[in-house]
Amino acid sequence: MDLHDLTAAYALDALDASEAEAYERHLAQCEQCRARLAELGEPVAALAFGSVAPAPPPRLRTAILEAAAAERSNVVPLRRRRWAVRAGALAAAAAACVVVGLAVSLTQSNGKRLVSAVVVLRPNGNATLRVGGLTAAPSGKTYEVWVIPAGGRPRPAGLFAGGAATVRLRGTVPQHGVVAVTLERAGGVSSPTTSPVVSAQT
Amino acid sequence: MNRQLAHLSDEALVLLAARSEQSALAELYDRYGRTAYGLALRVVRDPALAEDVVQDAFLAVWRSAPTFVPERGKASTWILTLVHRRAVDVVRREQRRRADSLERAPEPVAEGVVEDAWLRLQRERVQSALRRLPDAQREALELAYYGGFSQSELAERLGQPLGTIKSRMFAGLSRMRELLGDPGTEMSWTSTT
Repeated sequence: MDLHDLTAAYALDALDASEAEAYERHLAQCEQCRARLAELGEPVAALAFGSVAPAPPPRLRTAILEAAAAERSNVVPLRRRRWAVRAGALAAAAAACVVVGLAVSLTQSNGKRLVSAVVVLRPNGNATLRVGGLTAAPSGKTYEVWVIPAGGRPRPAGLFAGGAATVRLRGTVPQHGVVAVTLERAGGVSSPTTSPVVSAQT
Repeated sequence: MNRQLAHLSDEALVLLAARSEQSALAELYDRYGRTAYGLALRVVRDPALAEDVVQDAFLAVWRSAPTFVPERGKASTWILTLVHRRAVDVVRREQRRRADSLERAPEPVAEGVVEDAWLRLQRERVQSALRRLPDAQREALELAYYGGFSQSELAERLGQPLGTIKSRMFAGLSRMRELLGDPGTEMSWTSTT
């Protein structure tokens, strides 16, 4: 069986379970098939629009949102689950520094990037957070940076006002931890009270 | 309906969903729930099963949003792939019922269904592209995608060698890609609010 030939059938979900498994193993090693599969993904998804779609019953929307809410808070306590989320990662080496995390890159439909954040980690464990595109903190509020070691509690690591900022983080940043930013009352707090606007794994 | 997120791209919504933003999941459902349900219904041919499929797929979106990689493809493609895969799994589990009902279950008709103007446009565009395919290619794509048949089942059903089925599916999808890629017919989500 030539696995390259299975790309269209795989894209259409027209392989049986064992064929699909074999093809997925092949896919992991074949860049050509990955590229072809990406190309065929669009016309396949277009077929989804080819049927007349009656409106689903409104209860379906409610059921999905309720199940999603129940599920996410069941996995682990909500706060910890949120902290564990990684929105994206970028690894790059620059001179003596390592860029360890590109936290969030939200784009609007016009392609404009809303928020970006990069953590630069020095070999001695000191770190800098560069943020761009955050709106200025409202009056009476500040952005607060947190360093969370794996399995540990958030530790306050600095404050900034928003916009484009470079923040030298207090203390050292461990590997396999998380750097996150929340909006807090002016002056900062000792543990986070809102969910992160930005978070990155280190 | 909360449309505060209506200005965000699908991909941005998935990133927000990855951070447990429920309103982002709601917005994705408002954009693709109907298409997802229509697709599931056409494949599984049973409203209750179609609801299960759509619910299961959107929960998969919620669960696996942190693993979505925008560089690999559009969010809408990803979501509809999750829907289709589940629908096909269901229909294959229900083999007997499907064999029984395929011929008698016609494609749903637009009559009596109030369609969003944008959805109608997309449907007409896809159907017109399908009509421009050679019959054999269109048949292979429709039976595989809407019928949930595997390539081996198709070969048997159509009395053709497996190799022929594979090349029809590949040629059909490649041609669809060209037809849908024509300038002026670019498919993209447009806010309806």
